[in-house]
Amino acid sequence: MRLFKLPPQILRLVLLTLAIVGSYLAARAMLTPPSFGQYGWYRGAALGEIAARTPVLAGKKACDECHSDILHKLAGDAHKTLSCEACHGVSRDHANNPDILPVKATGSYCIRCHEANPSRPAWLKQIEVKKHYSEKCVECHLPHQPTQTQ
Amino acid sequence: MKTSSSRRSALVKLGGLLAGVLALPVARQVKAAVQQVLVTTPAPNGYDPTQHKWLMCVDANKCIGCGLCAESCKRENGVPEGPYFRTWIERYVIPKPAPGSGQTRGEVQVDSPDGGIHGFPELSLPKDQIEFSFFVPKLCNLCANPPCVQVCPVGATFRAPDGAVLIDPKYCIGCAFCVQACPYGSRFLNPVTKTAEKCTLCYHRITRGLKPACVEICPAEARLFGDMNHLPADDPLQKFYEKNRVEVLKPHLGTEPRVLYAGLDKEVR
Repeated sequence: MRLFKLPPQILRLVLLTLAIVGSYLAARAMLTPPSFGQYGWYRGAALGEIAARTPVLAGKKACDECHSDILHKLAGDAHKTLSCEACHGVSRDHANNPDILPVKATGSYCIRCHEANPSRPAWLKQIEVKKHYSEKCVECHLPHQPTQTQ
Repeated sequence: MKTSSSRRSALVKLGGLLAGVLALPVARQVKAAVQQVLVTTPAPNGYDPTQHKWLMCVDANKCIGCGLCAESCKRENGVPEGPYFRTWIERYVIPKPAPGSGQTRGEVQVDSPDGGIHGFPELSLPKDQIEFSFFVPKLCNLCANPPCVQVCPVGATFRAPDGAVLIDPKYCIGCAFCVQACPYGSRFLNPVTKTAEKCTLCYHRITRGLKPACVEICPAEARLFGDMNHLPADDPLQKFYEKNRVEVLKPHLGTEPRVLYAGLDKEVR
């Protein structure tokens, strides 16, 4: 004996609702990336993918492994804040394989920072290249010990 | 008779649905495993973004406008040639006011030719007419309330727990809403990939214990960078914000940047 009989139209409606909700849940489960919500409302795996890029600049620490004598000279003078790659160019290849030589730094690298410019801060030593000598800075100045001349 | 047959079919349907729901986690795991095989991410091991809090400080007094930061950023991140920059240098020139104008200064001129990579051309203004002039390095301001993240319609850009505002290039649809929303102009559409791009704080470097390329290369130590959760007591960053009166760009917008500046002027925005 039945206490309660569900009318067929209601039953159909309930089943349809369940089917819609079920297919929505199934679609969401399949479409949401597995790492979504790991850190927040975004794909957590994206962080690892962005970080997967290989660094290009080798960094001063890599230079220090072989050229600590030059870095020591540098640290004792006005160019102590300079990164090696600021003048010698990107040197990751050289750091990985010492046979590949980095770019030879020339006087134009000095001009990049030391050419007189009214926008440059007054503490920076500046020259007007044409009036000073020429772009042959290293004929007199030692780039690793810029306060000394030869 | 009719009711019993409809009940049976209803029970079968219900059972099927239940089985489907129960199978969902399994299906999800299978999908994750398949993705793991198809997408290899040789990401640095042991980096936990919840354990770091990055901070960038810029001392505009020290910037000499050499453009090495902008240049190395392009090299480091493979930014396309042309007017696309993740970091760049702006030159501010504040002329003397016209005599009798009652102003403290003339109209400010700002330029950033090629992001400052190839230096700055000589000023048309004679030197004696300049009140003062200076350089300001610019980059993503690492907002705590990033407007770019709010407007993204697909949730492709987000603020990581370590403070870096990043873009998921696989989900970016290239609508450029974020390019318009950024009040600091630090986003652009990459002409090659057609997706939005911005400073990632050199995420591939900082997760390996290296400094961002612009900080690494800056010859004047105008840029300082560090992890506020693991900062040594003698770190230059510590000294920077202890010694300087720091400010942020456009504080009235409430974006709460994590790039602190020293030595700005009211004209810098």
